[in-house]
Amino acid sequence: MDLSWVVSGIALLVLIAWYVSYGAARLDRLHSRVEGALSVLDAQLVRRAEATLELANCGALDAASALILASAASDSLEADTADQTSREAIESDLTQALEVALGEDALAHLRADEAVGAPVLQRVAAANQRVQLARRFLNDAVTDVRRVRRKPGVRLLRLAGHAELPQTFEFDDELPMLGRGD
Amino acid sequence: MRIGIVSPYSFDVPGGVQLHVRDLAEHFISQGHFVSVLAPADDDTPLPDYVVSAGHAVPVRYNGSVARLSFGPLTAARVGRWVESGRFDVVHIHEPVAPSVSVLALWAVDGPIVATFHSSNLRSRAMQAAYPLLRPSLEKISARIAVSEDARRTVTTHLGGDAVVIPNGVFVERFASALRRPEWEGTLERPTIGFLGRMEEPRKGMPVLSAALPHILREIPGVRVLIAGPGDPDSVREKMAGEAAAACEFLGPVSDDDKARLLASVDVYVAPNTGGESFGIILIEAMSARATVLASDLPAFTRVLHGGDAGELFQNEDPVDLARAVVALLRDPVRREQLAVAGRERANAFDWSVVAEDVMAVYETVILGRSSVRTSSEPDSRWGRLLRTGRNSGGT
Repeated sequence: MDLSWVVSGIALLVLIAWYVSYGAARLDRLHSRVEGALSVLDAQLVRRAEATLELANCGALDAASALILASAASDSLEADTADQTSREAIESDLTQALEVALGEDALAHLRADEAVGAPVLQRVAAANQRVQLARRFLNDAVTDVRRVRRKPGVRLLRLAGHAELPQTFEFDDELPMLGRGD
Repeated sequence: MRIGIVSPYSFDVPGGVQLHVRDLAEHFISQGHFVSVLAPADDDTPLPDYVVSAGHAVPVRYNGSVARLSFGPLTAARVGRWVESGRFDVVHIHEPVAPSVSVLALWAVDGPIVATFHSSNLRSRAMQAAYPLLRPSLEKISARIAVSEDARRTVTTHLGGDAVVIPNGVFVERFASALRRPEWEGTLERPTIGFLGRMEEPRKGMPVLSAALPHILREIPGVRVLIAGPGDPDSVREKMAGEAAAACEFLGPVSDDDKARLLASVDVYVAPNTGGESFGIILIEAMSARATVLASDLPAFTRVLHGGDAGELFQNEDPVDLARAVVALLRDPVRREQLAVAGRERANAFDWSVVAEDVMAVYETVILGRSSVRTSSEPDSRWGRLLRTGRNSGGT
């Protein structure tokens, strides 16, 4: 009689230990996925800003457009990576600057210039596509982390430790005129 | 790049997912990447040399149609060996919630995982029941791709989060260069209609076409219906009116070459599918072969046909409307030519050269994330991490 209580007690402890260890490992994996995705987004944002600078300086755009692009791109390059809210605003601004600068006429002009304009435009389009991918993958990872961290067991046992609760990255990254058209 | 691709469905029987996997693999191989495909297959099935068999496939009813799947401890062990020996930079798992090799691979892989969702009708009941079990392994996926807007909606509804839409690709040139076969070409008196697919599966739409045939024959008595694909012709014939059955010619399963030639030869290619199509790659193949396409107005088909610019649409599951549309097209060669030309142009947007570039961008993005993680944090055991939990574990 006593023995069976001891046995079930031990079984329960083993179960709890397993749950804790498994949950911690799962969260750990999720947090590193978020970190990885965030560093990718960082890298892709830098590439996009650099490609935009290149576009501004390629000579195929009018001076005013070039200035708008250059200013938005350098804001992005100088952004404080720790301050997510201001970064979101800066990146949205860069997207909008691209949208404004790449009107129909400017696009046609760039695409016709096969030596300089078209390849630079191509680089901006590719960089923006990768920003979109990186942001989406990051947000998926963040959503997963937040869902797991809402679980009562995880909260009760504080399995996430002191890791910050990650936030989704929200900014405008749609440049429909650079798409392949659908 | 070392790419591992996992297909849940057997290569013994052709299907949309298998073809997608095969084409993607062949495209990346032609670009100089190392690609290994893991798929269920019987041991005596001849396989392309880049395919590794995950074991014997068993026919199982899943998600509304019969699929040949592979599972069990033996398969799990083979999956583990494949993952280990492949040393992949990225593993691309197709249909990760299919109860087959895909789920097993998701368990086994520890590294960058890309997943592609093809289906637009996940069974929510089955999903909910198996969810607690699947959830943690689905969290390992770094990037989700959906082949269509419908498939993407399925992902957002059932799994939460989002997915990038990258459509299926087609080797447009393979179909565009197909030669016509005179015996499949229509004449003024005897025009031809083509149907492709597993005829016994109701959602491929054979019953709708059967019901429409008497109406078509009343207007154009000489019409011939060429039906290609696996299945028993008698089971289809016995459900048809006598004169309708006589108008049908069953070609059986056809080779890829003949499929392209059939599409190029017939006057009208009909896709009367009633549902379950998340994409409709067959329509793109047909457009590539310069076929005049007539399809049911499923959302996926409507999108592929650009709202009807690149092919005619009829009201889904309505045999009368199908008959009306067939008759109208068969009587209007100018319209047919116009649609064929528009379709050929439309198909270019889905060529593998365009589509695979998007997939590669996804691979590169997830690989970039993984390598930076590996360098920034040292390997940490589960127990080490556990002991530090609650004190200073912070975000590693």
